[in-house]
Amino acid sequence: MHMKEFKIKWGMVIDIDKCTGCGACMVGCQVENNIAPMTKKDPYNYVQALTSERDDADNKLRTLTWMNVYEMSNGKSFPEHEVAYLPRPCMQCGNPACVPVCPVVATDKNEEGGIVSQIYPRCIGCRYCMAACPYHARYFNWWDPLWPEGMDKQLSPAVSPRPRGVVEKCNFCHTRYAKAKDQARENGEDPMNLPEGAYVPACAEICPTGAITFGDLNNPEHKVHQLAKSPHAFRLLEKLGLDPQVYYMSKREWVRKQGDNYNAGDKH
Amino acid sequence: MGFDRRTFIQLSVGGTVGILFTPVLWKALDDVSIWTQNWPWIPKLKYGALVDQPAVSKLCDSGCAVKVRKAAGSAFGTEGNEDNPLSKGGICPICANGVQVMRSPNRVKGPMKKVGDSFEPITWEDAKAMLADKLAAASGKVAFISGDQTGTANEVFSGFLAGLGSEDYLQMPCDMQAASRAFNGVMGGEGQVAYDLENADFVLLAGADAMESWGPTVATKKAFAASHPVGEKASAKYVFASPVQTHTASVVDAWVPVGEESMPAFLLGIAYHLIRAGKTVNAADFGAFSSMVMDAFAPAKVEAATGVKGAQTAALAKQLMAASTPVVVPGGTSVATATAAFAVNMLLGSLKSVSEFPKAVESGMTVAERMSNDLLGWVNKGAAPAVTMVYEANPVYSLPDDFKTGFLVSFATEWNETAAKADLVLPNAFTYERFDDMQNPYGFGRQTYTAGVPVCRPSLDVMASTDFILDLAASMGIELGFESFAEVIAAKAEVVGADFDEEAGGLFEGDAVGADVSALGASVLARAAAPARGAGAVVLAPYSQLIVGSQKVATTPNAPCVISNSVLMDKTIVAMMCGVTAKKLGVADGSKIKLSGGNGEAAALVKINEGVLPGAVAVPLGLGHTVGDEFSKGVGDNVYKILTVRSEAATGATVWTGSTVNVAKM
Amino acid sequence: MDSKLFPEGVQRCSFGKFMLWTGFILAFFLWGLYAAVLVLYNGIGTTGLDNYFGFGLWITFDLAVIALGAGAFFTGFLKYILKIKQLEKIINLTVIVGFICYSGAMLVLTLDIGQPGRAWFGYWHPNVHSMLTEVIFCITCYCTVLIIEYVPLILEQKQLNKVPFIHALAHNMHVNMALFAGLGTFLSTFHQGSLGGMYGVLIGRPYAFREGFFIWPWTFFLFVLSAVGSGPIFTVLVCTFMEKLTGKKLVEYKVKALMGKIAGTMLTVYIFLKILDTWAWATGYLPSVGLTFDDMFYGVAYGKWMMFTEIVLCGVLPAIMLITPSIRNKPALLYTAGLLDCVGITINRYVFTVQTIAFPAMPFDKWFVYYPNWVEWASSIMIVAYGFLVLSLSYRYLPVFPQERGLNYK
Repeated sequence: MHMKEFKIKWGMVIDIDKCTGCGACMVGCQVENNIAPMTKKDPYNYVQALTSERDDADNKLRTLTWMNVYEMSNGKSFPEHEVAYLPRPCMQCGNPACVPVCPVVATDKNEEGGIVSQIYPRCIGCRYCMAACPYHARYFNWWDPLWPEGMDKQLSPAVSPRPRGVVEKCNFCHTRYAKAKDQARENGEDPMNLPEGAYVPACAEICPTGAITFGDLNNPEHKVHQLAKSPHAFRLLEKLGLDPQVYYMSKREWVRKQGDNYNAGDKH
Repeated sequence: MGFDRRTFIQLSVGGTVGILFTPVLWKALDDVSIWTQNWPWIPKLKYGALVDQPAVSKLCDSGCAVKVRKAAGSAFGTEGNEDNPLSKGGICPICANGVQVMRSPNRVKGPMKKVGDSFEPITWEDAKAMLADKLAAASGKVAFISGDQTGTANEVFSGFLAGLGSEDYLQMPCDMQAASRAFNGVMGGEGQVAYDLENADFVLLAGADAMESWGPTVATKKAFAASHPVGEKASAKYVFASPVQTHTASVVDAWVPVGEESMPAFLLGIAYHLIRAGKTVNAADFGAFSSMVMDAFAPAKVEAATGVKGAQTAALAKQLMAASTPVVVPGGTSVATATAAFAVNMLLGSLKSVSEFPKAVESGMTVAERMSNDLLGWVNKGAAPAVTMVYEANPVYSLPDDFKTGFLVSFATEWNETAAKADLVLPNAFTYERFDDMQNPYGFGRQTYTAGVPVCRPSLDVMASTDFILDLAASMGIELGFESFAEVIAAKAEVVGADFDEEAGGLFEGDAVGADVSALGASVLARAAAPARGAGAVVLAPYSQLIVGSQKVATTPNAPCVISNSVLMDKTIVAMMCGVTAKKLGVADGSKIKLSGGNGEAAALVKINEGVLPGAVAVPLGLGHTVGDEFSKGVGDNVYKILTVRSEAATGATVWTGSTVNVAKM
Repeated sequence: MDSKLFPEGVQRCSFGKFMLWTGFILAFFLWGLYAAVLVLYNGIGTTGLDNYFGFGLWITFDLAVIALGAGAFFTGFLKYILKIKQLEKIINLTVIVGFICYSGAMLVLTLDIGQPGRAWFGYWHPNVHSMLTEVIFCITCYCTVLIIEYVPLILEQKQLNKVPFIHALAHNMHVNMALFAGLGTFLSTFHQGSLGGMYGVLIGRPYAFREGFFIWPWTFFLFVLSAVGSGPIFTVLVCTFMEKLTGKKLVEYKVKALMGKIAGTMLTVYIFLKILDTWAWATGYLPSVGLTFDDMFYGVAYGKWMMFTEIVLCGVLPAIMLITPSIRNKPALLYTAGLLDCVGITINRYVFTVQTIAFPAMPFDKWFVYYPNWVEWASSIMIVAYGFLVLSLSYRYLPVFPQERGLNYK
């Protein structure tokens, strides 16, 4: 299916040589996007209480981590072993695998900026998009979002909590984009030409090493525009042709190789 | 009855049309689409004006300078404070979850006293009277344990303790303490060591997990980030020496595998090359130091002691000498490591220090004074005060040995092991609910002072412990010179010279100066040549990750799903070791093992990680809480309990460096 | 006791015995119903599915029964459109089996989606580019067709049919059945193809993804052909199973052999194209994205043995057996071939569903093995039990097998 071209293309360049894997981005993301801590008990559901408990964070295949940090190893023995961490938000693919498969148009890529949206009240929870996404960037709400008593007194006003049974994902903190555009309009500036830093997702903002650079890939005045062209830049599974809007960079060759599916017998 | 094709078609079409035209179907569908997104148990959002208020977040050990994000007047999140040099907009994973911790149901909801095995609420007035009685009866046999490294609160508490006639003001074991005892004690320096990472062009992290848990992590990371600009050439080289490839190892330019107990020998092995190259230090014992190093730390001896190839040590020394602003940063609680690192820095002419800020509370202790007391040694000697007060610390959980006391008072914000064991729990206001400050967080390269004011109104019956103690002191006739901690902070800000504002807090920035020492600790370091280890099968290499928590803060609510399977798997801690070690122990990836050492045991799952020094097993600190919420309680085992405390041969400090454990398959 | 309700001229077991049998089946059904209630009330978290395996046993089950239920549309097509007269002796059974398979699949789908209340959004907010939209359309429509095909059979029940209105209605529906058979064929062909397309379009999933010609029409036809290559023989197996259970002859062997021949021919074409497809995928597509054939397999759970079993043991072998008249005409061999055929198609649907998403596309990620939990098994077994119930009731009370009287009570 042919995808729309955008004048603005929000993207990230994540410098793996600067990510320490501390996890601040993941915590910041959960707070910003009202992702509930995983609790075993559901005080509202007696059937639940009588049967099995909900999952807690032990089951990493059931957690909601829109931003997820993967651990990479160069696979060598001591002392040649090296380690790296790779934060994985939604890639906001130019040719997303998830969008054309959704039977109910609950996800789309049509707004200027090129962010792949997810319409929670529309989603029927078929999980076809999850099957489609090779980055595991999509998450299913296996359980109702419940906060420990008192923690739900004030949630982030950025996004409503999603009920169970729908798929959710990173949207580059879309509310912040909307807010930045409003701010620009108020200031009499062009909302279609935001300066660098006017709109930054929570993970990029919080990162203590500034490993995540965020901006408009199409705008030469934004750092990401140049960084994406660096010889050290690469994209995850670039060869599959999904055209991600998230770039990575590393001076370490083994990291770049692991990022783009270079496998046995393939010389690049 | 006639039933022909016409009737059949009429019936079918009519039926279909009839169903489609009743409103029932459409109304039902409309309702369904509305209620499937509005279940009553899903919280509704409250909207309102968005405000960011600067605050100090003293959850992590060094503290973060943050902004509390509020909507409609109520806090919902935390972000870094761009205007503060310690933050520059960054934030650590613990403090990133600050508001959620503040709203946690695990908060202590009001003052409690122990009756039998359970707690009963008590009023603040009664609590004050009760404690006053106990303290009066203790007649000076009182101790105070503090986990706050940077706060002026320590001046209030130590001043109060002095007023009670006790000097047992004890700091929880920390890297800052080791550095202070090396610099102010062994080497006779003034002030506090500072590491100017912002301007360094070569950084040797000698055991300091600086990009994860050591020092002011956010400031360190910002300095690292500035020296490694994205897409450009790095202006500094970072080398990390440690037994485990912790998070820091993932970004540094080189990793040198060195055991924690071998670190002094490794550093003095570098010193050997520096002295050979003609480096000198203007210190009284330089001659003794020089000949000691030449004799005991010659390359072959160091290689044998540390396992680091002589050529690698020589190359590192060369790089340090070639650098214009090199810095060596020691980590861990070993005073010998800190002394050796400072000696190398002195040889390189790069040791810097910041002077201590003047005190606000006259009778309080200076930072160096309170760092000089040895808590682990005090416990080991079997001290048993009549009353012990614990502030911003959880010694029952994080000290390897049990400590004895009569009446135990905990100023815990949240329920933890120490609070559960206490006779009196006096909940401290949360860090966003009280006045607090951070003076010269250890590890930063310059002088800084950050004062924070309350930005959230307490929703529970809590009280700033500082205010409580000031109140108590007044009622006991101990003169501290202040009625409230707000006044103390204002006075402190004034003597520091910071701009202070009751709404926004205050900030002061100063410079570091070249440090002076009177000695290099030659006599002490001579005894550090042979690494001292326990008698167990493998050396324990404990590491900390802020996402797991710290020695005082347990895993925060949003953290569990961030904790990786290399740290914790199905509520069992992961013991990482390299293939060689696993083979020697007869275990494989996924084996369940029992580690025994110190006063306890810990169950763990083996994970092969080739980034661990052979003969060592890496385990995470901070898990295995027995009190707390579902995010920390019963999750993994407590590694502090398998550490072995011993007296460091070189310095007499009580440390757990070189702890070993025995491994049994389960 | 209920003998007045039996079809004309046949004998059935005693009512007590029938109740015992029904009770036995109901026990399974109720167990599954409990699981289904848990799923609907507590959510899909109760299953063994997770973020890596969003599709699992349920989707495999759906795809398999939809393929095996293809006997209905294909036999209908051959009987009503191509007028192969012989097939009327088994057509009723194919309709019932088809109805069970499709309605069962829809029940499972209702459990499988996270928001069953929004199931109809597929009609309200359709994404015309999604294969799944097409599948939703066609399955629901075709299920309606199957109901329409099944209803006259119910109306022909001996007592019901005495009512003149019902008699007339049944007659009229019969007269128009060719229209529905045609409609059914059209819908079925589409969605069987789309089910293949569902996987074939997954650009991020190299195990299933096919490019250009290999997606359309190739993959589409692979799925259609594999369905018609197994559906008819599945009906034969069901029929034979019923014969063994009841001790009666229900359909003459000639018809079964004919069904076997039909399935075998389709299977042969299918397996030939499937081998070509696999070869082109392994040597063309995979290297083009930096992957190798070996990368696609892992351990025992996702081993190459599965592909060998699917294509050779349960593909080539039954195809040869079914198209060879001398083998096909031996009942035991026909049934063996049929079983292999059905197993092969089920494996095919399984690997496309599970192995496709198990392959860690990101090289630093790893393979995970998916195990369905009891909730998924129980709810799937509920559907099987439901099938048994429908079939038992239909056999006992409806004139399903026109040959039964002739073959058993001469």
